[in-house]
Amino acid sequence: MSSIDEAPPSRRMRTPNDSPLKVWFLAPLGLWLILLFLLPLLFLLWIGFWRVENFQAIPDFSLSNYTDIFASFFSKSRYGLAMIQSLWVAITTAFFATILSYMVALSIAFAVPARWQRLALLLAIAPFWSSYVLRLYAWQTILSRNGVINSIMRLVGLSDYRIDIIYTQIATRIGLIHYLAPILIVILYVSILAIDRVLIEAARELGCTRWQAFTRVVLPLSRFGLMTAGSFAVIVSLGDALSGNLLGGGAGTSIIGKLPTYASMIMSDYSSSTNLPRTSALATILIAVMVLALAVGFVLADRARRRIG
Amino acid sequence: MTAATADLELLSITKNFNSFVAVDSVNLKVGRGEFVAIMGPSGCGKTTLLRILAGLETASSGQLYISGKDVSDVPVNLRSTRLVWQNYALFPHLDVGGNIAFGLTLKPYDKAVVAGKVKAMAELVGLSDFMGRKISQLSGGQKQRVALARALVTEPEILLLDEPLSALDAHLRIRMQGELRRIQRQLGMAFIYVTHNQVEAFSMADRVVVMNKGRIEQIDAPEEMYARPKTEFVARFVGTNNLFTGRIQEIGHDRVIVHCAHGQVVVMTDDPPPVGASVFVVVQADKLTPAPIGLAGENRLDATLRGREYAGSHNIYLLDLVDGTEVKMTMPQILPVEINRPVTAWFSPQNAALIRGAA
Repeated sequence: MSSIDEAPPSRRMRTPNDSPLKVWFLAPLGLWLILLFLLPLLFLLWIGFWRVENFQAIPDFSLSNYTDIFASFFSKSRYGLAMIQSLWVAITTAFFATILSYMVALSIAFAVPARWQRLALLLAIAPFWSSYVLRLYAWQTILSRNGVINSIMRLVGLSDYRIDIIYTQIATRIGLIHYLAPILIVILYVSILAIDRVLIEAARELGCTRWQAFTRVVLPLSRFGLMTAGSFAVIVSLGDALSGNLLGGGAGTSIIGKLPTYASMIMSDYSSSTNLPRTSALATILIAVMVLALAVGFVLADRARRRIG
Repeated sequence: MTAATADLELLSITKNFNSFVAVDSVNLKVGRGEFVAIMGPSGCGKTTLLRILAGLETASSGQLYISGKDVSDVPVNLRSTRLVWQNYALFPHLDVGGNIAFGLTLKPYDKAVVAGKVKAMAELVGLSDFMGRKISQLSGGQKQRVALARALVTEPEILLLDEPLSALDAHLRIRMQGELRRIQRQLGMAFIYVTHNQVEAFSMADRVVVMNKGRIEQIDAPEEMYARPKTEFVARFVGTNNLFTGRIQEIGHDRVIVHCAHGQVVVMTDDPPPVGASVFVVVQADKLTPAPIGLAGENRLDATLRGREYAGSHNIYLLDLVDGTEVKMTMPQILPVEINRPVTAWFSPQNAALIRGAA
């Protein structure tokens, strides 16, 4: 009896799973994040305050890069307009990519028999196995003026009609959606899978048509997944320059105008000026916008989750 | 009961899942305002039957009538039955009020009408103070009330309940039993209550249906089912019965003599099977008593005491007859006999029932 009472309380584990070793299992992840994420990020922030003299980057703490950029944000340099273009392209891309992926995820979860679902999911994410750049070039072949689609239309005698979307932001969005869809499908499929099927039966039993069961039960319960997928798509689209360059032709047209996205503007800016401090400052601004987008997405997703309780 | 006064009528309902017969030509009539419990071991088809009534499954064959109308092919969302689910199936994205109102909001009702009905129903089930709560903030009993209110507020003709109390603790279960019965009487609505819990079925239902392997074994009032099981399965499933197999040896004017492995048994009966018929003699465990001193041979059971279980209010004695048959005897007193010592039990011919055996 007394021997149990005398056991030192400090050695007592709170749960059977408790172990002083478990903290160390975080070490590889922590090291990885510090070395490959945090340090480069801090370096980027720091370089943004350097200045350039005689084509040489000189460590300093000057705000001149930022004052320069913001002085001509909407006029000569048009960084601001590119940012608006980026936000417009990213938000519309995320919107369509999320809807498309949600439809695919829904049909995998509900229309495909349970034992084929893994295979269907695998096929849906198959594009992920080929290189992104390769896929963009493939789309170029398909969409260009004398590309696959237009050639076929000419062959069948529809030479009066021609799709002319290559080097517009529509083509940029197509490339991005193709890139994003596999990831979004997985996110959304998992969130649909978490919905208890009994709830759908219960809704039907209470008088819902199939469509009402979807709008009143499945859709509200998918809201967290949709917000997560949507904000992920916005951030990836904001940061991507490849689709904008290869399919959008650098400065693709959208209803906002013939403007490059912010990310592709940074890229072309750097290759023409090689002004590293200035480019770092531009990139820092983009990161700030992404963090803002992430925060908005997080708040929306959290609100959706709390409503589910 | 004629079809005109029956709320619900099932005509040889059968359900196959591939080669497995889950429900096998079930016939059942349920009257207006009747409380019917369907009971049976797991896998006996009782839940499948309930799902057929709700429209969640389609019967492979047979007809289903509600208030005289054939509803066999009416889709689930247009049925006038409503199901209370085993694990409540409440919508986590809606609050208590939203859950109760769910069925009503699907119909073109005025908002004020919906609010009024929801409020009245919340009062009936005692949830008035919880309307704004999230489902995750409710206790098991409260969730059960929400599930009940959500179904009842749509004013179904028949309420179907699928083991609704199985997730509650014993104390709450008994309280909810009484409450369900009160609500059922107050609304005068037919309740069909599926359970594997015998106490629940027997204490709540007007009639009990015992199912086994997809078939109905017996439909009777609880007292009747308890006193006179009609099949071997019911006799073994209901209560703590002792079964002796034997053959009819002799028929008297109100009694028969059955020849069993351990000896002769006398049973009172009005409807004796023919001589030579194979039968089961059923004696409830509490109808067995130690034999009075000087008792003649009639219904004596010479046995060896093998064990005693103390169950608080009574003792359960396990006896082995000379032929090895195991017998249970329950009584409040302590039997002054040691384990593995001989003991003689006895039962009155009035307290035994006959079941016809398989040919």
